[in-house]
Amino acid sequence: MLGIIRIDGHEIPFEPGDNLLKVALAADVDIPYFCYHAALGSVGACRLCAVEIMSDDPDKVPRVAMACLEPASDGLEVSVSAPAAQQVRQRVIEFLMINHPHDCPICDEGGECHLQEMTVACGPAYRRYQGHKRTFTNQNLGPLVHHEMNRCITCYRCTRFYQDYALGDDLGAMRLRNEVYFGRFQDGPLESPFAGNLVEICPTGVFTDAIFRQHFTRVWDLKTASSICPHCSVGCNILPGARDGTLRRVRHRPHPEINRWFICDRGRYGHQYSEHTARPLTPRVAGATITYRKALIAATEQIKAAGDRIGGLGSIREDLEGNALLRALLNNLNGIFSAFNDPELEAATITAVNRIQNSDGTPSLTEMEQVDAALILGDLTAHAPMIDLALRQAYRRGAQLTVLHNGPTPLTQFAVTTLPVPPHEMGAYLSRLHERITASPASKDVQDESTAEIAERLAAARRPLLIGVVETLAASEIIALAQLATALGTDARLAYALPGANAYGAALLTLASRKTTTILEAIETGQIQTLIVAGTDPLGDTRLGSRWRAACQRLNTLIVLDCIATTTTAAADILFPVAAWAERGGTFVNYEGRAQGFAPAFKRLELLPSTAEVIADLVQCLDLYLPDAPAVLSEAFPGYQAPVPGSAGSLMPVHPLPTHIDTATRSDHEHHHKHWQAALTTWYGDEELASFAPALMKLAPTATALISPAAALNANIEEGAQVKLRGPVGTMTLPVQLDNRVADGTVALTRMALVQLGVGHGDLLELEPVS
Amino acid sequence: MNTKHNRQDLHSFLSQHPSIHPERRAAAVPIMQALQKERGYLNDAAIEEVAHLTGLSTTEVEELATFYTLIYRYPVGRHVVQICDSVCCSIRGADELLVAAEKYSGVPLGAVTPNGALSVLPSICLGLCDRAPAALVDGEGLGPLNKVGLEALLRSLGEED
Ligand code: SF4
Ligand code: SF4
Ligand code: FES
Ligand code: FES
Repeated sequence: MLGIIRIDGHEIPFEPGDNLLKVALAADVDIPYFCYHAALGSVGACRLCAVEIMSDDPDKVPRVAMACLEPASDGLEVSVSAPAAQQVRQRVIEFLMINHPHDCPICDEGGECHLQEMTVACGPAYRRYQGHKRTFTNQNLGPLVHHEMNRCITCYRCTRFYQDYALGDDLGAMRLRNEVYFGRFQDGPLESPFAGNLVEICPTGVFTDAIFRQHFTRVWDLKTASSICPHCSVGCNILPGARDGTLRRVRHRPHPEINRWFICDRGRYGHQYSEHTARPLTPRVAGATITYRKALIAATEQIKAAGDRIGGLGSIREDLEGNALLRALLNNLNGIFSAFNDPELEAATITAVNRIQNSDGTPSLTEMEQVDAALILGDLTAHAPMIDLALRQAYRRGAQLTVLHNGPTPLTQFAVTTLPVPPHEMGAYLSRLHERITASPASKDVQDESTAEIAERLAAARRPLLIGVVETLAASEIIALAQLATALGTDARLAYALPGANAYGAALLTLASRKTTTILEAIETGQIQTLIVAGTDPLGDTRLGSRWRAACQRLNTLIVLDCIATTTTAAADILFPVAAWAERGGTFVNYEGRAQGFAPAFKRLELLPSTAEVIADLVQCLDLYLPDAPAVLSEAFPGYQAPVPGSAGSLMPVHPLPTHIDTATRSDHEHHHKHWQAALTTWYGDEELASFAPALMKLAPTATALISPAAALNANIEEGAQVKLRGPVGTMTLPVQLDNRVADGTVALTRMALVQLGVGHGDLLELEPVS
Repeated sequence: MNTKHNRQDLHSFLSQHPSIHPERRAAAVPIMQALQKERGYLNDAAIEEVAHLTGLSTTEVEELATFYTLIYRYPVGRHVVQICDSVCCSIRGADELLVAAEKYSGVPLGAVTPNGALSVLPSICLGLCDRAPAALVDGEGLGPLNKVGLEALLRSLGEED
């Protein structure tokens, strides 16, 4: 603390460098404002934050100044209530309202409009201006954000967020005079993965939520509750809003170390999955709808009949409670439990979690914004969008980013070095980098300049970050990344974008026993009769879907609990529809190992228990005695306390296993000249739940086979040509798109294409031109 | 004017600009001026061309193109009169001059006379406040203006070929 200012007699302490507005707002002293935003700083565009400042010299008259532009200095006397300041604010509002339509009753912003509030607080109650109002033509900005330019008050928050903060380049401030227009060059969907934040950043109703608009309600009628985003491992804090048993929208909820004022568009618009028409809402047994009670009885009979020939699959998107109870049930029945349906993803996730537990902790988003160099493996934008936004802030502060990628990823735009690496060569490349960092200067191989450059940049950094996307890395590469962090010393930070909202929790529950392969083989050999699947879609898996499908043919009973319609729910003998995340409480453990509780925002008309509740009911029907979810969790994790929704969350107790148990393998196949490596190429909307959000999915890129121009030349393939792809399960024909961000010998494909071909990321497939 | 030769010259001139200008936005201005000199104004295709040459997005180019009063996004006449209506000129009667200009030219502000000779546009401050109300006539400052002088000016420019 440097000093004290006095605002209308209140003494308020401040930090050096703070402006008066920031100081006042932090102390809950109201100064009206529009254009200032904590994330965007001050520009002095709106002139609303006028205050009076007394002079040191008693003979001088006080002056009116903009609070957002005035640095706090010790002993400063400030008045918000001074008549001169009040008059400026009133005039400013009167001018801003000259062109503003009087359409509050039909404006989506009404009820949470900053302009409305400020006008009521400062402005004249009546309009004196009688002339014509300026009118604009609105633009179609795509399915997510609605545009209504007449309401603009020219505060520039939108472009400052979109261009300066989120580094987008397709929304800007155009024209001049009193015709300044905020929009795009031409109509078309906003391209930034963070575009939806315009809805919250705009202090009036220019940008509003286009999805909420379709099923609108006044915001004061919304039921809300502190919640956590279910769409990736970042664990952004959110506020879902519901009415009449339906979910209407999602907004951000500030968490000081994670998302603060923003969320990504997957988080904001992915929620439509819970309103999807295909969502299962009634229990089914053998294809027929049935009451919940009867479904429980049917499942109980099958579980009893199976005895210990039973397996259970939990999930990386299912909450901690559901996973833990399912594991406890399986343990009690002497069955087998896994929280994954692909052993490679299981190995990768558990390895990453184990490495994090063995490190000094992984950085929060706000810490990531402070790094000065980063080595990024994979597509963070698609797998952890808000980590991408955090690294954009680091880049703005001068951080040097290096991206190693298999296919296209938006962060390459901001990187000093980008290197396309085929999936199978990532491990070798990382060990070269490791050698380079640890080798003595004399023994350094001078051949490989780019590696040397990357190594030197990381070694020279004060606070380097090493971060990898787990879904597109093998366990061995995850280890290699951790070893790089160790080699770089104690200031280096290590982080992994995990494959699901609760992937960390799922890994913790299975850390010591990896059973995915065991379960799959036990089903294949008939040792498991009944399988309980909770919140996952093994039958729709990219690499193993067809094997799961074949295996599950052998089961007596497939019991499925889920809130979306998947290949697995379609095959279920007994189906329990469960509550979606906003309809229930639970806990997710994010990429940091931070357990965060979420509370139910509303209940639907249908009876939809949570996964944990269904399992608890089964336990009861089976006449078993199992503790409840909190007790199971505190037994599994000594010292665990359920985090209260709305709190900052709590780090999971650490139980590091020795790192030598990490198995480091990538299933390697013989190389053949016709073989290409498949790389999963995704976009920020691609996630299992969000793929049921119709509006977001309108933005999905069209399916193509992306290959590098060099590889195309080699194989004599031209842009736009049709190629036939052959995987172990199926074939498909796709047009080729050339992209120099794709690694050599690699074909980047969408998740759907991988499923159809039956290959996972890094697997081999054949590609040949269609003549 | 639109000969093939000119076009090639223009392109080699344009493609040199980004490398001369370290700041891409700065390169956009001379490129826009050159294209406007050739075509009279910048249509959407021209904006796309500038974006391509500078590496800026089309939105970023549009921001610049629509900010500068001397870059035209719509067709203009062979003669362009830009009448200032900012504070000083407004106090000294610019608003009346703008109304009068529509009458004398016979077309609304911003439109081109049917013979293609003339456009009258309002403008922000021209830096000629000492000669308010002022105007820019084909790039040359003029003022103080009155209705009589404006009528004579617009009639003579409007009749020229
Ligand atoms: S559109 Fe909204 S955020 Fe942008 S300048 Fe206008 S009022 Fe401000
Ligand atoms: S970054 Fe992840 S957790 Fe955050 S809003 Fe986006 S999808 Fe949700
Ligand atoms: S908030 Fe200070 S001028 Fe807008
Ligand atoms: S106000 Fe017209 S030239 Fe300055």
